[in-house]
Amino acid sequence: MSVRTTTLPKPYHDAVIRWRETFLPDYDLLMESWEKFFPNEPKFELCAYRQLGMCTEIECGDQKGKPKFTRAADMPAEPAQHLFGAIRAQASTEFGSIQQHRLTLARAQEEEEQFWILRMMAEELRHGYQMLHLLVEDDWSCVTQESRADLVEGILSMNTGSHILGAFNVDFDSFIDNVVFCGLIDRVGKYQLAMQKVSAYQPMAESMPQMLREEAFHLAAGVVPMRRWVTAAAKGSTFITMVDLQKAINKWVPRALEMFGDERGGGTNVRFGLKPMKNAEAQKQYVEEIGKLVRDLNLRYLRARDEKLTHGESETVLDRILAGESVGGIHREDLLHLPHAEYFRRRGMPAFKMVGADGEVFTDLRAYQQHLVRTLPDAYRASRDFREYMDALTQVAEGTMKAEEAAGKMPSLRRVGGACPCSKAVRWMVDEPSSSAA
Amino acid sequence: MTATTSDVSIRPLDELDISDIVRIDEKILGSYRPEVWERRIGYYLRRDPETSVVAEADGRVVGFMLGEVRSGEFGLEEPTGWVEVLGVDPECRGRAVGRRMAEAILEHFRERGAKSVRTLVDGENEELCGFFNSLGFQPSSLRAFTRPI
Repeated sequence: MSVRTTTLPKPYHDAVIRWRETFLPDYDLLMESWEKFFPNEPKFELCAYRQLGMCTEIECGDQKGKPKFTRAADMPAEPAQHLFGAIRAQASTEFGSIQQHRLTLARAQEEEEQFWILRMMAEELRHGYQMLHLLVEDDWSCVTQESRADLVEGILSMNTGSHILGAFNVDFDSFIDNVVFCGLIDRVGKYQLAMQKVSAYQPMAESMPQMLREEAFHLAAGVVPMRRWVTAAAKGSTFITMVDLQKAINKWVPRALEMFGDERGGGTNVRFGLKPMKNAEAQKQYVEEIGKLVRDLNLRYLRARDEKLTHGESETVLDRILAGESVGGIHREDLLHLPHAEYFRRRGMPAFKMVGADGEVFTDLRAYQQHLVRTLPDAYRASRDFREYMDALTQVAEGTMKAEEAAGKMPSLRRVGGACPCSKAVRWMVDEPSSSAA
Repeated sequence: MTATTSDVSIRPLDELDISDIVRIDEKILGSYRPEVWERRIGYYLRRDPETSVVAEADGRVVGFMLGEVRSGEFGLEEPTGWVEVLGVDPECRGRAVGRRMAEAILEHFRERGAKSVRTLVDGENEELCGFFNSLGFQPSSLRAFTRPI
């Protein structure tokens, strides 16, 4: 395996450093504490990695088997435009999510978990840097008149709420969000990165392997603390309860599902050779994966509640409880669950349906609003995101706006085009037309 | 189980394997140690998730092999692959699960530039010594020293 390491030309590299000093002020602390939390591990380096020796033929879509594109200028106009928008938006949100994480980073109760997230933020900075590298190294004059300097400046000047395509505004309420976001939202990123690894644009494909390696730990930075928290909750800790975790899961899973795009779409990316899977297929795999995550957390909880249980016994007990039985004083509602796929959705096929977390269908707007209030984190109720959803839901329920129209007005958290996998790759997007579902 | 060697698939380790590895470790050692594996797997995922692998058969994880490429230790300046942790579900022994994992992990070591692979084995563990011998491992001049403190 051969990897090429590069840095941006000095003015752009320095611009990223200045951005880091403003929005990732704990970076120096991370470097000073590196040996304490990551002993003998290679130190973080802000650079772009390109893996060499990868497949040089387009791996999916209409051009399958033809040579991959090494220059944007050689691509047909429409795919080039699509790719450019995806990289730029991706870059903006890589930086944008660092702005999200930093707000609640200091609230972590455990120093180790805090430094895991801090390392993850630094690596997300590198992912944004990687996207800037793609923009700066190639000539994009075929799709934009903006200079390289303007492209970089435009991305680095964005702030929370001003990122590409609207508000990037799902605020973190506590450190629970930092962790659950890594476990659920970064996982969508993993899917996107894996799909982008076959991109018809060779520089994009070559950017993915290192990002995927880093993303593997980002997921662990979510899953491991969640495992520890359910263990503590089972033993009576009141700091982070199962109810708290469930509400955070309810908050993020709907957004995660929407990040795959409309369930009917994704065909355009496949035809262009930019991704190998349509939206619904990737989303289905994701749901299976987070289903395993939730089941593992429940098993961990059960064994912490009753340390005499063997693995096999805990599997049996879990199935009995999920079937509605109470075992050892533990009820179904004491455990974690994935919310129904149509719960709290504002994009895609289930947009603005009044479906509860367990799949129950509501016909009364007020009752559904109360259900959402009960099942989502308390602090989230005060957010702009929730208010805008509730306003749109009300209009849809009262018949003054169609669900499709409301969905079009609501920005959605999505990984555009599939560039970066990380949480930072998330951005607010508008769905492609449903005709692309073909 | 009746599955054959060809039914075993190998893939890189990921964070959702923690529960399965805890389960296999518990079967082997008889103790439940989730905290140990949460920390340890976090380490290997940070280092390089592709140089640690799990084996799957019949839709579940039946083995794991964790390792990494390091250099500059024990006087070994060249990049060296280290096989550090290995476990196979006792119910799945005899199906070449360990061999399949070793082949995969050695390939990753080669891709990372390693010219040799090393491990440390308790000399009294004949099964494990036999396993590594069958893979072509030979005793090395690098000796393990220890003393109580």
